[in-house]
Amino acid sequence: MRRSRAFSFPAVAFSSLTWVILLSAAAVIFVPIAFMAGASLMNSADIMQMPYGWLPRSPKWANFLQALAGNDGQWIFPRNILNSLVVSLSIAASTVFLSALTGYGLAKFRFRGRNTVFMGIMATMMIPFETVMIPLYIIIVRLGLQNSYGGLILPFLMNAFGVFLMRQYLLSFPSEMLDAARIDGCSEPRIFFSIVFKNAGPAAATLAILAFRQQWDNLLWPLLVAQSEEMKTIPAYIVKFAAEKSSDEGAMMAVAAIASLPVFALFLTLSKYFLGGASVYSAGKE
Amino acid sequence: MKRMAALAAFAIFAASAFAQAPVIPELKGKAMEITIWTHEDPNRVPIEQRYIAEFMAANPSVKVTYVTYPSAKIREIITTGFAANQGPDIFNLELFDEYPFITNGRVAPVDFKMAGSKDLKDLESKYLPGMLTSVIDGGKAYGLPVELTNWCVYLNKKIFRDAGLDPDKDWPKTWEDVMAVSEKLVKRDGQIITRRGFDFRYPYYLTSIVPMVEQLGGELVSRDGKAILNDAAWLKVLQYFKDFGPNGKNLGSPTYTDARKLFDNDKNEIAMSLSGLYQEARMKNANPAFYNSKDWMVIPFPQWKDAKKKVPNNYYGHYYMVNAQSPKIEQQASWALLSYMLSHGQEYLEKVAIVQPMKALMESATLKAMPYSDVFVKDMNAAHMVYYGASSSKIDAMLKEAFESVMLAGVEPQKALDKLRKDVTAALAEQ
Amino acid sequence: MNKGRSGESLERKTARWGWFFVAPGVLFFSAFSLYPILNAFWTSFFNKKLLSLKPPKFIGLDNYGKVLSSPDFWNSVGATAIFAAGAFVPMFLLSLLFAVLVTSRTRWRRGIQMALYSPAVLSSVVAALIWLLMFDPRGLANQMANALMRTPGIDHKWLADATMVRISTIVVYVWKYVGYFTILFVTGIGKIPQSVNEAAVIDGANAFQRFFRITLPLLKPTTVLVSVMILIQCLKTFSTQYLFTQRGAPLGPINVLTLNIYNTALRDQNLGRASVMAVLLFAFMLLLSWTQIRFSRSGELES
Repeated sequence: MRRSRAFSFPAVAFSSLTWVILLSAAAVIFVPIAFMAGASLMNSADIMQMPYGWLPRSPKWANFLQALAGNDGQWIFPRNILNSLVVSLSIAASTVFLSALTGYGLAKFRFRGRNTVFMGIMATMMIPFETVMIPLYIIIVRLGLQNSYGGLILPFLMNAFGVFLMRQYLLSFPSEMLDAARIDGCSEPRIFFSIVFKNAGPAAATLAILAFRQQWDNLLWPLLVAQSEEMKTIPAYIVKFAAEKSSDEGAMMAVAAIASLPVFALFLTLSKYFLGGASVYSAGKE
Repeated sequence: MKRMAALAAFAIFAASAFAQAPVIPELKGKAMEITIWTHEDPNRVPIEQRYIAEFMAANPSVKVTYVTYPSAKIREIITTGFAANQGPDIFNLELFDEYPFITNGRVAPVDFKMAGSKDLKDLESKYLPGMLTSVIDGGKAYGLPVELTNWCVYLNKKIFRDAGLDPDKDWPKTWEDVMAVSEKLVKRDGQIITRRGFDFRYPYYLTSIVPMVEQLGGELVSRDGKAILNDAAWLKVLQYFKDFGPNGKNLGSPTYTDARKLFDNDKNEIAMSLSGLYQEARMKNANPAFYNSKDWMVIPFPQWKDAKKKVPNNYYGHYYMVNAQSPKIEQQASWALLSYMLSHGQEYLEKVAIVQPMKALMESATLKAMPYSDVFVKDMNAAHMVYYGASSSKIDAMLKEAFESVMLAGVEPQKALDKLRKDVTAALAEQ
Repeated sequence: MNKGRSGESLERKTARWGWFFVAPGVLFFSAFSLYPILNAFWTSFFNKKLLSLKPPKFIGLDNYGKVLSSPDFWNSVGATAIFAAGAFVPMFLLSLLFAVLVTSRTRWRRGIQMALYSPAVLSSVVAALIWLLMFDPRGLANQMANALMRTPGIDHKWLADATMVRISTIVVYVWKYVGYFTILFVTGIGKIPQSVNEAAVIDGANAFQRFFRITLPLLKPTTVLVSVMILIQCLKTFSTQYLFTQRGAPLGPINVLTLNIYNTALRDQNLGRASVMAVLLFAFMLLLSWTQIRFSRSGELES
């Protein structure tokens, strides 16, 4: 559907101003990322050059080799990337599923204690992770899950914001459809899977990316739980690499670039769902 | 005869290629897993992994997992592990971070038999005098040192010559010299320093800055437990930092890249930096051309012109310790393994340039052959161990805050000192 | 089978199913959120040291007294407040502005949104690495600031000066998350029926009138939600401050509560006192979001 527009002078001026603001904001925001990309191919002296050169004079691909192989030549980084993918993808999947389940329960059923449950879950958003880190670690240790994917994943299986998002989305989901299914003799779990979950696509995609991104970012927890090099995730590798080789900024930026590539690739391919954010809500209204 | 010789030669070759770790009869057939958590060190890690492989080959029932963590994080990780009663069997930290593990009863005493000694006296006799004192409590030793380090000043002669100085004559002997020479060496673009003369190692205030105070007769903690003695000494050092920093003569600051890391690059960025003997091994790896050139040297830790006594940079130690909650047999295995690892003092010295404070090693040709090792040894003989106590990590952070508030935030030295005294006194009272 | 002709019985029946669907979530949050925070609350009354094997002693409100009378705690409260306020205002205004501008465009919409969002995709460790290099006195931040302000050779002391280091953490934070909140606003604006806007256009309302009379009031639920989220995020900030202080920035000005809690627990090993701060921070955040929601009388968070 196309909006009719009046091509008056103020409208044109307004439109160009909008573009100026948006494009300059995008450019400014993009500077550090461009810096990372350029610096990953420079030697450290050029990175600290005044004035800064932006483009590498002759691309130093050796930075990437060093980043991947590590200073000890053990090639552990690819494995760490894989770990990050496994952990973040599992958490994205479980967050979507469990949040949909809980969100559905909260949105479409009236039961005693519903508000308490909802407010309680919302309140957990206010817990700073650093404050619960130690009791959480003790739980994981008791379960014998340290140094395993289980230990990395379990405390983040779902989160309060996911529940909130799913509940909001499902509140506007037509109840008549559910009732119709009930009258047709559909079991409740089947209603959830074949009607609700199936139609949660746009909200699920948004939530999946949020959960994925959050987990990709996680440093503190994997550092505590992953005790062998093989179980570490990308942020832990970066901190380690930076500590070992602090003066070689080029290789450090190469590590940063490699660490960002998979998530950027995912971001680019899934951006359709993601940035069609408006559809999350409109889909439920049809 | 010839065949015998060939066989013997082969045996020697084999022995050197696959060094034989001792077979520990007590461990025979007892399956167990030993975990070691230690900090990253690109030169040390490979040799320790080799010792462990050798130990496992000789004692196949023992499986050892060796994990390294970034040095900036390891204290938190080990502490959390122990808090959950899931600490590693073996770990090491800087002594002042390890000390609370002893006072809280979290670490097991050295098993003398497994560690290859008769008793405490025998064990102590292998080390330089006093080197185990800090880990001895009630007749038991709670750790074995893997490294004892003091810092001296590495100096880039090329940069000195470039600034019209003669490194052999003009190297700084006093802190006043350091400031004066730095002013000649420094290069800036506007206010921004592109080449520093000297710069400190900032987060390590206990190790490096407290000695400057002590040279002037000041003290951090007195024998009777009072904090911050001799204001004049403290104020002079605080003022020095104010003058040195960006609001004074602008010669250096904690926010520039670490001086010692830039030093190895030899890219005309830093003329002098503080580091230990181990820096030589890193330099050799990172920049062999510079290492082999005659363009660098090591000079003693500077002293004040009107110093009351000579106090070189403190030395600090990393001690391997064993978890008291590990089963007895694993503790024994741990000490046996550590004893085997640490018996390679020569190789630690050659490959990593870290010094175990053992008598035999200090007199070894290997140490003497290392460039400028005499400078380090001479300084070390006059130095003492860095302050350690139940609150040392916290006090280190307080020193950082005091000095950096003066250096960077323009706080008056007297004000910073009053706050420091109050904070340290409170920290000591809480122990 | 009874097909539930009466609404009541259907409701009672489905109410049980409500619990069924909610149960996994309730279990999860009880184990991994409720238990740890209750644990912290319990610990806050004990003289608990992290490494000690002795059973901790009950000391009542002693920890609370010590924390509330310590200047260090109040410094952290100040640092947190300055950071939260300093990051909240630009974050909120910019993300709202960007969202309104983005939704007024039809072309390149996705490209712009992606560019704005891209920093949020980077991990904080990567972001800190990049910014630490840029904030180096010889780095890009000084060069760009000097080029813009025509002040060659000035060192703005991004990580050294007490005020600047506060600004630097805010810059990194806003940079990283502004795109994320923009998307939330875009979503909220998308919820506003096009017809309302179109009617206004026909009535001759200009863009500003449309924004203040239509978009903003109709956006209120989103506005409340986003502002609560920004505030919570800001109060929970940790990694930027942590990584900056690790690289030599002065602790005092950016010693936010989370960082103080972390240091008190792991450096000073005083779990009791760290728990006090954790409980206070948690309670404060609850209170703040509650008032914010009540005050705006939004139906968004209630059923």
